[in-house]
Amino acid sequence: MNVWSAVVGGLAGTLVLTTILRGATELRLTRIDLPFLLGTAVTSSRELAKVIGYAAHFAFGALFALGYYLLFRALGSSGPLLGAVFGLAHGLFAGTALVNVLLPIVHPRMGSDISSSRTAPLLEAPGFMMLNYGAATPLVSLFAHASYGAIVGAFVLYGSR
Amino acid sequence: MAPRADVPIRDHAAIGDGRTVALVTLDGSIDWLCLPDLDSASVFGSLLDLRSGGTFTLAPDVPFGASRHYVPGTNVLVTMFETDAGTVRVTDAMTLPDGGLAPARELCRRIEVESGSVPMRWEVCPRFGYGEDTTSISLRAGIPVATTGNLAVAVNAWGVDAPQVGRAAVGGSFVARTDAMIALSVAYQEPLVFPSRDDVERRLASTISFWQGWASSCAFTGPSRSSVERSALALKLLIFSPSGAVAGAATTSLPETLGGERNWDYRFSWVRDSAFTLAALLHLGYAAEADAFFWWLMHASQLTHPHLEVLYRLDGGLGVPERFLPFAGYRSSRPVRVGNAAVDQVQLDIYGDLLQTAWVYASTGRPIEGEMGRRLAKIADLVCDLWELRDAGIWEVRSEPRHFTQSKMMCWVALDRAVGLAERGHLGGRVDRWRAEKMAIETYIESRCWSEKMQSYTRSAGSDELDTSVLLGALHGYREPTHTRMTGTIDAIGRELGHGPFIYRYSGEDGLAGSEGAFLACSFWFVEALARSGRRSRALSLMADLLSRSNDVGLYAEEIDPRSGDFLGNFPQALTHLALISAAVSLDDERSVLDGGPP
Repeated sequence: MNVWSAVVGGLAGTLVLTTILRGATELRLTRIDLPFLLGTAVTSSRELAKVIGYAAHFAFGALFALGYYLLFRALGSSGPLLGAVFGLAHGLFAGTALVNVLLPIVHPRMGSDISSSRTAPLLEAPGFMMLNYGAATPLVSLFAHASYGAIVGAFVLYGSR
Repeated sequence: MAPRADVPIRDHAAIGDGRTVALVTLDGSIDWLCLPDLDSASVFGSLLDLRSGGTFTLAPDVPFGASRHYVPGTNVLVTMFETDAGTVRVTDAMTLPDGGLAPARELCRRIEVESGSVPMRWEVCPRFGYGEDTTSISLRAGIPVATTGNLAVAVNAWGVDAPQVGRAAVGGSFVARTDAMIALSVAYQEPLVFPSRDDVERRLASTISFWQGWASSCAFTGPSRSSVERSALALKLLIFSPSGAVAGAATTSLPETLGGERNWDYRFSWVRDSAFTLAALLHLGYAAEADAFFWWLMHASQLTHPHLEVLYRLDGGLGVPERFLPFAGYRSSRPVRVGNAAVDQVQLDIYGDLLQTAWVYASTGRPIEGEMGRRLAKIADLVCDLWELRDAGIWEVRSEPRHFTQSKMMCWVALDRAVGLAERGHLGGRVDRWRAEKMAIETYIESRCWSEKMQSYTRSAGSDELDTSVLLGALHGYREPTHTRMTGTIDAIGRELGHGPFIYRYSGEDGLAGSEGAFLACSFWFVEALARSGRRSRALSLMADLLSRSNDVGLYAEEIDPRSGDFLGNFPQALTHLALISAAVSLDDERSVLDGGPP
């Protein structure tokens, strides 16, 4: 195992994850757009938000891959299957807590459970498992995150050989 | 003290916090409140079922007279109860969080003694889940708490005698000699917050201050300022703050005909209302709410792009399956529906509403950025493909689809706005096709949807029935309001569909039994059409008459019985208040670029 394989795997995994989510959007399965959600945290310009969001998204992808790497090290094992399991757990955490609860609270342009008439957020909150963005969103998100994990796991396993 | 069974709709006032709305009756009952959100199940629903709906009563225990008003510039309600023993003032509000640790929702009722000593009685009788869920009440740290599932309501009372806690209700009686307070604190998916009385008082003061600041920023200075301000405040109550969506109304299944089946759930956001919503918010200077609404609309409609749903859930989701509740119904008007089957209808007018909304948005210098422009262009292409279809029309009739004139007019508006946006560089696409199809629609309307007999545009192609919604053709720029055919239409509608100052929606059948009241939004559209066609004095007169027909606190329902003056339909109704604002703005001499005429 080496850390650079994990970082590169994280970038590749993010590429695939983003492609899956974007593809699902085009297929009208979901309205989830993680780069857009991230970018609008710093700008209300839709175009600029996507540019910033994609950069931030890939940076987070690499960072999460480092977390996966530490878990692989702790377990003394890696590979696409184990990575996919991590990815599923990651996706569940994102849908139930990270994007569902934490993001709306820190995002300056997103509604949340504590929104009231005092505020007029520009973005709707994702809701539990991001269901507000479409009924198929949880499945799409879990599949995308499992794919991300599998790719990170594969890079860590095969990159160390 | 039991709540009355026959509280007129017009005897209600609305309070809210941007998440949900409670309706308060003139005799001190809260008979409608959904928790945690406006489109959640009711906890107090005695409006629709006295026996099993649930209610929160608070009133003198002796004969009384009541009058009320909002604290000026707020959605905080004051009811004055006058009795032989003295006078009590009850202030009702849903407080807004102020930065401290506040309950998820908080409803407070402050009792102040103006004079004497007044025997009072109160009772909180929650019925979760439209009365279908089990409600259990127990004491937590000495405070009565009603719970079901992950929802809890704590009943905090200060300055009153110790409440009696029963299996289904909490309440008691006391003699009001000094000020008191009863506050419900609500928790959803988290532990309850038990506030102190000082906390609630502070939030109430802060809430009043917020509303007054918000209302004072209303930019409208015309002669109907107070009515417009109240309408803006009502609209703000219906804005679902987490998303920016605007609910059609705060209630479900208040009947369009007493005892009839025309009972619908309006706790969703209609694309139909979008152009009026954005224009009203921008006219009144509420840019933040306007931006939030437009972003929400574009985001919500993405899932079905380029097709549009007739309505969306307040959280932007799809899927609002219609079902019947086992409620008795308002004055036995059944069925009581939740969800709305209109979502499955084809309504072509909404494409015009969306493009008109984008047009209004862009007219204020706001950007239509690349992806949004591409989506709008695809929607214009879709209109070219769809406009020749029959549809259910703006009124969501449940009879066979028709070629409704207003739908065709709004398809024309859609393409006209798309061309206008393209000419201004906001979007690109098959502009020549849009122009050609726009001409084809116009030819169709002028040849198939005009009645020589009635001297009016008709409700649908080939009929002699009338429909007030074709006035939107004038208001959104299909025809100049001064055009001969449009003035003829205005005259015909006034003659055939008018009743006093009120206007009915349409003549002819709609697939439902029974009749309905006059439609208040149509009445305000008629005023606006008169004003824009140059008949200002008649418009002013009608407007004054209509403004006098609000309830005692300036609110309107969807419809009114012209004979009795009783309100009908859901309450308070966004479209009515939007139409009021639009008519008031049109009567004001100073017009802006937001009018939406042809570019």
